[in-house]
Amino acid sequence: MSQDPNHRRSPGRSPGNQSRPPRGEAQLRGPFLLCFGSAILWLLLASVLGLIASLKLQVPSFLNSECLTFGHVVAAQKNIFIYGWASNALFAVNLWLLSQLGRFELRNGWLATLGGLVWNAALAYGVVQIFAGNMNGFNLLEMPREVGPVLMVAFLLVGFWPIVAFARRPTGHSFASQWFVVGASFVFPIVYALTQLLVLWCPAAGPVQALAHSWFIQNLMLLWLGASGLAAVYYFIPKVLGRPLHGYYLATVAFWTYFLFAGATTPSSLLGSPIPVWVQSVGVVASIMMVIPIIITAINFHGTLFHRGGWAQAWNSTTLRFVAFGAVSFTLAGLLNTVFSTRGFNATVRFTEFAQGQEQLLTYAFLTMVIFGAAYFILPRLTGALWPSAKLIHLHFWTTSLAVIGSVAVSLVHGYQAGHQLLNPAVTMAQVGSSSLALAGSVFAVLFLIGHLAFALNAFSMIFSSSAPADSEAQSD
Amino acid sequence: MKNLNFLFAGLFLTLALPFGGLLLSSQIQLGSLSRAPAEEGGPLFPAREPGLAIQGRAVYRELGCVACHTQQVRPAGQGSDIARGWGSRPSVARDYVLQPQVLLGERRLGPDLANFGARAKSDDDIHTLLRDPHSAGYSLQKPDFAYLYVLSADGKKAQPTERAVALVAYLKSLRQDYASPEAKLKQ
Repeated sequence: MSQDPNHRRSPGRSPGNQSRPPRGEAQLRGPFLLCFGSAILWLLLASVLGLIASLKLQVPSFLNSECLTFGHVVAAQKNIFIYGWASNALFAVNLWLLSQLGRFELRNGWLATLGGLVWNAALAYGVVQIFAGNMNGFNLLEMPREVGPVLMVAFLLVGFWPIVAFARRPTGHSFASQWFVVGASFVFPIVYALTQLLVLWCPAAGPVQALAHSWFIQNLMLLWLGASGLAAVYYFIPKVLGRPLHGYYLATVAFWTYFLFAGATTPSSLLGSPIPVWVQSVGVVASIMMVIPIIITAINFHGTLFHRGGWAQAWNSTTLRFVAFGAVSFTLAGLLNTVFSTRGFNATVRFTEFAQGQEQLLTYAFLTMVIFGAAYFILPRLTGALWPSAKLIHLHFWTTSLAVIGSVAVSLVHGYQAGHQLLNPAVTMAQVGSSSLALAGSVFAVLFLIGHLAFALNAFSMIFSSSAPADSEAQSD
Repeated sequence: MKNLNFLFAGLFLTLALPFGGLLLSSQIQLGSLSRAPAEEGGPLFPAREPGLAIQGRAVYRELGCVACHTQQVRPAGQGSDIARGWGSRPSVARDYVLQPQVLLGERRLGPDLANFGARAKSDDDIHTLLRDPHSAGYSLQKPDFAYLYVLSADGKKAQPTERAVALVAYLKSLRQDYASPEAKLKQ
């Protein structure tokens, strides 16, 4: 990997700011806290809606009204989770990461703040419109089409700063986290704009709309959320452990293969749909090729953690406990995605709860847990305060980790069993519908809500108790 | 990886390859599809939707029905859609050429609706299914859409609103039970 000859640090070690004061963090504080604070509020709302959706699966007459149909609640919950929680949090974390790695001092931070405000206002409008029934029929594009251009402009204002930070970095060397964040920030607005055009503004012909939509979902999940999450893992594992990443020289291959194949996996989620068969085959091949970056990132992350008591250190560090949980989940999600993109397995599990489990493995068990880990590291440094309650941190970890393990396991197992049974045409859908599955979903939704409340309480207590950015290294662990 | 231009060029390439190779080529392959007869001189399929069904499509979209229902029949060998009676042939791209927003769906908490119109019995049956699915013997997981109905003047009978009537017209218009040049009907 490219290294500045003037810098003698070992390859794979996060450059960080071990020996310098946190310059520029004062400028970061406003936009960071706006984005992360609103992300937490959106997460709480998504948790409540997730609970309502679970209860509706259990008791369909629960809160039954035209405003709160299952379709509205699920669409609003997903949009809030992805655009409200995950994207807002990633704006904040990506900006912080790149400013640390590139020694970037944010000037004109008001632009980022404005972008954050516009993003949240547009999202709030879009969610209200979903409940009002003014929605589209495409997953994560349900908000009315006029919201799209506003979100685009807001993204350029708030989400583009990592690229500026990379371009203006004073040193020549670069680190894996920077490539992944730059890639994610570069790809997402282009994909979002093209999809809006092909699906909502100038709809493509027939099922090509579905293909364009699927392309958007894959890019959103893997290249915006996934790549941003990977950037954080690449940063925090060596940073907290204090040693270089195992096999770091392979990270370049992981980066390029990840970005090359992720977009091409699109048709693998449309196997059997009315799109050209050759396109479906390309999707299957790309999904199998995705095993290359999955294995390399596993070598980088787990190889580092397996050396010299890394797992024990990870367990004793709040940040790394969450991040390591996310890293393991990413590997599992990638391998599952590869295996279940093949035609035989896909025919079994398609349209079942299995897909929900896969999505939750990526967006929650991986990404959200990594964001939590990043928050435990960054917030004390930005606020100059310590986390108020260790008990709430423990409660947060245990509730969210148990809930996501249980929820993903139940979705995957039940989805596979139901799909397998439904291959027999004599078995009806009512026979495979499980009330115990719905009950388990409600229990896990309550656990998620408790964990998120604990996190929100801790985070907002710390934010409101501080008034100035840190001038010394505050420790979260 | 020091050079931002090199990084951007590579990223652009990784984005352009699937976009051009998969999306644009599919648009080129399928973009010119239009209605066609199964046999020379026969009627054109898919049939145009009546105006009421077009309004019903909007109701279907507004209620978020796509969260639980798909509208695509997979070929034999990929699931049991045809054996289950959800269609007599797999769905093909031509079936969707008249649809302004293609609602294929991604999750099945209820049955596939691509051929609902072909297997539906009467308007009254569909209204009962929407208003009180449990009395009609449907899955307990299906919610009712009682808010699409109002009580008659004597307060004894539920009357469908215009939206319910439009929704039923749309559901009845969902048919892929014709032969197309790409997919013949199962004998």
